Amino acid sequence: MSATVQDLAAPVPAEAEVAPPRRPGTFARLMREPVAAIAFVLTMVIIVSAVLAPWLAPTDFFHNDLAQAMAVPGTEGLPLGADAQGRDMVTRLLYGMRMTLMMAVAAVALGGVLGAMVGFAAAFYRRADAALMRVMDVMLSFPAILFGLALAAIFGPGLLAVVLATAVATVPLMARIVRGAALGVMAQDYIEAARSTGMSDARIIWRHVAPNCLSSIFVFTTLRFGQVILLGSALSFLGLGAQPPTAELGAMASEGRNFLFFAPHIAIIPSLAIFAIVLVFNLLGDALRDALDPKLRV
Amino acid sequence: MKKYWGAAMFAVAATMPVADALAQAAPRDTLVWLREQDSDRYDPPRSTATAAGEALFLLSDTLVSMDWDQRTIRPGLAERWDVSEDGKTYTFHLRRGVTFCDGKPMTAKDVAYSINRWVDPATRSPVRYRAGNVESVTAADDHTVVYKLKEPYSELLYQLTQQFSAIVDQATVEKLGENFGVQGFNGTGPYCWSSWTPRQEMVLTKHPSYNWGPPIYQNPSPQVGRIILRIIPEANTRLAAIQSGQADVVAAAALPPFALEGLRRVPTVKLHHQPVYFYDIFVGFRVDKPVASDPAIRRAANLAVNKDAISRAVFFGASPAAPELINPQAMDYDAEAGKMVPRFNPDEARKVLDAAGWVPGSDGIRVKDGQRATLLAYGLQNQANNGMMQAMQADLRRVGIDMRVQLWDATVGWGKLATQEYDVFTMSYPYVSAMDALALYFPSANRPTPNRMNWNDPETDRLLAEGKTATDPAVRARAIGTLQRRLAEANVWVPMIRTSMYMATSQRVEGARPHGLYGVALYKGLDIRLTR
Repeated sequence: MSATVQDLAAPVPAEAEVAPPRRPGTFARLMREPVAAIAFVLTMVIIVSAVLAPWLAPTDFFHNDLAQAMAVPGTEGLPLGADAQGRDMVTRLLYGMRMTLMMAVAAVALGGVLGAMVGFAAAFYRRADAALMRVMDVMLSFPAILFGLALAAIFGPGLLAVVLATAVATVPLMARIVRGAALGVMAQDYIEAARSTGMSDARIIWRHVAPNCLSSIFVFTTLRFGQVILLGSALSFLGLGAQPPTAELGAMASEGRNFLFFAPHIAIIPSLAIFAIVLVFNLLGDALRDALDPKLRV
Repeated sequence: MKKYWGAAMFAVAATMPVADALAQAAPRDTLVWLREQDSDRYDPPRSTATAAGEALFLLSDTLVSMDWDQRTIRPGLAERWDVSEDGKTYTFHLRRGVTFCDGKPMTAKDVAYSINRWVDPATRSPVRYRAGNVESVTAADDHTVVYKLKEPYSELLYQLTQQFSAIVDQATVEKLGENFGVQGFNGTGPYCWSSWTPRQEMVLTKHPSYNWGPPIYQNPSPQVGRIILRIIPEANTRLAAIQSGQADVVAAAALPPFALEGLRRVPTVKLHHQPVYFYDIFVGFRVDKPVASDPAIRRAANLAVNKDAISRAVFFGASPAAPELINPQAMDYDAEAGKMVPRFNPDEARKVLDAAGWVPGSDGIRVKDGQRATLLAYGLQNQANNGMMQAMQADLRRVGIDMRVQLWDATVGWGKLATQEYDVFTMSYPYVSAMDALALYFPSANRPTPNRMNWNDPETDRLLAEGKTATDPAVRARAIGTLQRRLAEANVWVPMIRTSMYMATSQRVEGARPHGLYGVALYKGLDIRLTR
């Protein structure tokens, strides 16, 4: 995100007699809010620990010790206890976060790119607009869980079904956001100017429309990330997602729920992790929206 | 500390709102039996699910019945029977005064019709072979049935205790056609079909004139007005319902082992156990697949799996490990064969693999002639399989065998288990005797299902035939014993767990005792009274 792009979208002051003070960059503005700063740091911690899971995990992914099954948190050598298979919960949690984040990244990237393409097309080719957006409305009317169930029935349960279901659920939302933002950009004079120079449609979208919609896309992506994690975990919880022994937070919570009576930590720890990740991503998304909103700029 | 947690959680669970259908206490004079799964239909020869058996034993009767010891044959609809010298002709003398639910008297003609329908290829019964090599089943008079076989069949009476041979009314079968056991039923059982909403509930009402229950019960007549067989797929919901008195019976697979310890502490629940119960979980190898075909791999897998640890951790000690192929309490169990199944010894497993030329690769997984020791395992998705297969996976990994596990929902799982895609599979099954178990899974004619191992061995077929046609029990025991040794030596299976028959009943239930024939807890549902 370059400063020039922001400047174009921002209302230009009528008469600038003195040079305005240098505006702080988006990142600096983001870090000024304590909540946002914390959210950003936590996001980084989550991402780094997920990426480095194989090196950070205290035990091998497959290592189990049935004699330690359901050991409570605080047992020697098991700070978070062990699951029903006697596997270290710290290892499971790290790999679980990794899988959950990977799933969410794949779903948001796939659904986001497709949705953005639809959104740009709808905004740019006005004749296709109504048709495209009605298709999106139809997609919106399908609950993602139902769609996940259908996909799991076709492909069999697995991460593929979860990624596809959450991606498809993301497409219409992204399309609407992008269409709205792009329509605003399309009304600008510089688009007219670009047209008059004979630029191709694709080039106009790529060079002029898309960069100016980036802030909306960015904010939505961050917010959607949290929702997709929740949705993916819900599908995994229902047994449609990750298959054993793959660690995935929703699947881990599901595996632990039967033991809630006597080993609550097996379900509670991954549930708390889901809660924390979703919360952090939502906070970050909110803060990012504020930081990127030209109207809120000081 | 742990104990208080458990008690507190149970208290919370008991007060938790459960499904709307359960929001009130179980109705008067009605026994509510909670189950995990429903059957696709309730037609005796065509419904092989345990869930079908649970209703069919209540709805209908068999010629002979099974004692609590799972070994002694007792009278049923036949009050006595004679077997000819050559073992090929069984003559059943029927009880008088037996009527169907619609009031029509039951005669030998109905028996002949029901058995002939079972063996008729047009019925397409998957369990037709259980009836033996039938020549004819005829009614000699109104109360005598002659069951003629082409060759002796030592297993016949045991098979006739099972619900596949249940006697049904010809007129109702012909009237309902394909929908018999879906839209209605007419049998001679202690309870009569009232309604069925698939995957929700089945309502049965007392058969008023029924007084011909098997002699293993004290009272041959039913004492409860209605039985509702209700499907509740979620284990914790079933447990909450039984504790709060919204249901009366939860048993067998519907009563997960993890709940037993907690239920023992709940004063409103009575826990019953049937120690003689043959319903085992095993892991089978596809013996014609590249890696699974190596006997060393199969032997090593048997040595590598710590079944006792799995029994403790996954089954909470409620279901013991299965060190032998067949339950030692079952008829024709061979003790010698039992000893031949390898016991847990991972060092020995590594030695076996080393000796067979399987060399550990850089990632610890063994390789032989460019072939990685990787196995793909299929099974049905449930709590027990999930825990068990992950534990086995970890055990196998420790000796250098990579097992990938794919568990399927029951809706697609049976179809997946009928494919040739996998190398290893897990399954649980009920049986009445060693021969019953082996004759189901190992004949070459039963490939690809239920012989999912693709075990194709003429000697197995010969020994099974010898045991089946034996008229002398000693000959039969010898043949089936030899077969058990042969299969133990080949390590075709890893016998895993002997599931236990536990039954939890609510406080108002008196006289309930779990039986366990074909995995069915209530069997004929007699002697049960409700105090409220």
